[in-house]
Amino acid sequence: MKRGFYARLAWTGIRNNRRLYLPYLLSAILMVAVVYIDLALSHSKPLYQMPGGRTATTVLGFGFAVLALFAAIFLFYAGSFLIRRRKREFGLYNILGMGKFNLGRILIWETVLTFLISSAVGLLAGIAFSKLAELVLLNLIHGKVDFTFQIPLESIGITLGVFALIFALLLIFQLIQVAKAKPVDLMRSESTGEKPPKANWVLGLGGALLLGAAYWIAVSIQDPLAAMNWFFIAVIMVILATYLLLIAGSVLLCRILQRSKRYYYKPEHFVSVSSMAYRMKRNGAGLASICILVTMVLVMISVTACMYFGEEDALRAAQPYDITLEVSYVLSPGEEDVYAQRLHELVQPAAEAAGSISNVQEYHRSSLPSVLVDGYIPVNQDEIYDAREAGYPDCLLLLMDLPGYNATYGKDVALDAGEALMYCDNSAFSNSSLKVGEQPYAIREVLKENPARIPYDMGQVVTITLVVPDLAERDLEITRAQKEQEDYARLTWHYSFDSDAASEAQSQLRADLEDLLLNLEDFPLDFLMTSCQADERTELFASYGGLFFLGILLSVVFLVAAVLIIYYKQVCEGYEDQARFGIMQNVGMTRSEIRRSINSQMRTVFFVPLGLAVLHLAFAFPMLRKMLLLFQINNLPLLIATALVSVALYALFYALVYRATANAYYSIVSGARESR
Amino acid sequence: MSLLEVSGLKKVYTTRFGGSSVEALRNVNFSVEQGEYVAIMGESGSGKTTLLNLLAALDRPTAGQVLLNGRDLSQIKDSELALFRRENLGFVFQEFNLLDTFSLEDNIYLPLVLSGESHAEMARRIEPIARQLGLSELLKKYPYELSGGQKQRGAVARAIITGPQILLADEPTGALDSKATDELLRLFAELNREGQTILMVTHSVKAASHASRVLFIKDGEVFHQLYRGEATNEQLYARISDALTILTTGGEAV
Repeated sequence: MKRGFYARLAWTGIRNNRRLYLPYLLSAILMVAVVYIDLALSHSKPLYQMPGGRTATTVLGFGFAVLALFAAIFLFYAGSFLIRRRKREFGLYNILGMGKFNLGRILIWETVLTFLISSAVGLLAGIAFSKLAELVLLNLIHGKVDFTFQIPLESIGITLGVFALIFALLLIFQLIQVAKAKPVDLMRSESTGEKPPKANWVLGLGGALLLGAAYWIAVSIQDPLAAMNWFFIAVIMVILATYLLLIAGSVLLCRILQRSKRYYYKPEHFVSVSSMAYRMKRNGAGLASICILVTMVLVMISVTACMYFGEEDALRAAQPYDITLEVSYVLSPGEEDVYAQRLHELVQPAAEAAGSISNVQEYHRSSLPSVLVDGYIPVNQDEIYDAREAGYPDCLLLLMDLPGYNATYGKDVALDAGEALMYCDNSAFSNSSLKVGEQPYAIREVLKENPARIPYDMGQVVTITLVVPDLAERDLEITRAQKEQEDYARLTWHYSFDSDAASEAQSQLRADLEDLLLNLEDFPLDFLMTSCQADERTELFASYGGLFFLGILLSVVFLVAAVLIIYYKQVCEGYEDQARFGIMQNVGMTRSEIRRSINSQMRTVFFVPLGLAVLHLAFAFPMLRKMLLLFQINNLPLLIATALVSVALYALFYALVYRATANAYYSIVSGARESR
Repeated sequence: MSLLEVSGLKKVYTTRFGGSSVEALRNVNFSVEQGEYVAIMGESGSGKTTLLNLLAALDRPTAGQVLLNGRDLSQIKDSELALFRRENLGFVFQEFNLLDTFSLEDNIYLPLVLSGESHAEMARRIEPIARQLGLSELLKKYPYELSGGQKQRGAVARAIITGPQILLADEPTGALDSKATDELLRLFAELNREGQTILMVTHSVKAASHASRVLFIKDGEVFHQLYRGEATNEQLYARISDALTILTTGGEAV
């Protein structure tokens, strides 16, 4: 009987506060479901065994940490909000003779009930939707769909454990809150009148300046690697600036508007401007949090979508042909290069056996990382070191043989000794001659495209490619000079082609060729690289698809968080505004005037975070673009499209939520009339 | 013709599902002449506040009518009611009802701003009123910085700045200490001498003793009324006390 008493009190407490509790429960349920789905997929064996499945499950495993952390922060926010709203009720119990100990028991029961309901319903929902989520993920990573259905017990256990921990911490936090409060405080109502918010010029202008600086960084950074580093600094600046602007800047703006008598004393501005100052003082921090959440969602979803849909671009840039072989071998000085012919005779028949081949690229290359000193590229290590210290830019010198160039590109160029064709990806450099070590080259022609791209070139350093008459004899000197201590030179034989074989057969072909090359006898093999576009595609889809999926999951969670914060704000405001609008009606404001004023204030409170988030996204754009370049994605229209679609979807969703919560607000505010 | 005429006024409150009904006003008849200062007295629950709400058109009567300057309040459309209140009625409440988001000055301006007056016109109008009510030094302050008496004077300023036909006051001294009460009643009398019609609902004998006429309400009807005649405040005070004694001990109307 006695035990049932506390449980019943707790249950009544939840039911009587359902306007606040129901959204809290619903979002806790959603958090549980999302965490479970993420865990279930990252522990899924069939998924793991799939091509690319390992990458995808790793990404999801990382996502679990982010989701759990966020769920904790978010439930704490909502929980502390609830306990604040309920202090009055607890105060009443306290005056009716319940000690802190008894209140604690009610709280414990409430938490237990919340935990049981949210984890039970959340897990059921998670299990019900996990197959759907799996299908979506498989579709994204282009995996094969199977129709088995499994419930990994391990995932259920971890999910329950994580949320039990979160709720336990939350309970301790709430118990401390109740223990600290005095009964008088618990009962006191807030009708003492509130101080008007002061305009703080330092913080308001500081926020504006900080935001300006962050935007300037975002727009002015040119180098992709620098963009990566500065991005996090800019993000922190933007977060700080958002808080400052919405907390202090908004009040400042209202105060400035109030100074203009012509503007302020107009029916449509008078009430709105003065109440906005108060509203922003109370809500600035919450709105800033919403704005940052929204920005995160928008950046996350547009970037991951852009990576996912730009996958082919990245693939083509890194790996332009179906199969690529790079065989490096060493030659002693004066040794005749008989190996190229051997490689050709070995590889070509094997490749043709799998299917007809086209777009063959076959050439020799030798590479030298060095420094570009105007028209001179040193080859001696000490010299390179000194030049680098002196601040000359790093460069990568590639030498390509003329016969390979002619054969690959169907050209018929003839070069004299000491002549070369040049490509340089820094268009500023267009000398008519170039000296490499002791060897001067006269540049016959400047090429527009790099004839000898190396795979996975990130484009961080200047690449210079020289097409020279004969690698084997003349230019061995260069590579030899590079390795002064050792008496040999290194050459790379590049062979890439497209094949009309099916992708599984291509994958097999790559493995066969690798076997063949590794098992060559009497061959001075130094280094072997083989790659197959089909395999790469699977991997890229797995990682980008996994990221995109995670982006969607996180967006859903962030969205729900933002919605709940907004909803709580509205409810709170509603209770506080009730009396205010009652007075206005007595003074002679018409219902429609009141409604219009509420509308404009609500719209501002609602859409300021969205507008600011879109502005943040717009300024983050150049930086996001630069960072995507590191992933070989250089597709501006795609990025614009994904960003626009994300913003549009988000705005639509936001508008729907606005309508729903505005109704809750109106019903509270108009309750003022009936209760008089 | 009287400024305000109330005839056969009846108000019945029913619970939401029509289960039980409470008759707050049964049959109220009285009229108020231009320039009068009328106090309405009655115990808690006698229907005073209901009556005031009906006079202010904040609520609709079940039967009967309220005429202000010959205009039937129940004939005014909902959409015009607020405008009507703004132009013809001034309100003073027990709880002051100042908005804490506005400075005192802006609180007083509120009805004028809603009517679309220019700032210059508003500043011109507030000046004499603020001087009369002793608010000139307080205009820039916010409600949380003001005493109860100061807030109530602010509310009076807000009520009369539009030049209303009638000033309705609901227990205006209910939340004031005795010094502030005396000050407010002195101001009401002064405003009345200048021609302002005032109708005040109260159960304070002291407040009522400043009026030129006192109506007593009991069980939803006007039970009795007293005219000041040539009596002083003290004499009227004594007569009101006597009337209240009869009222509460259950005598018949005199």
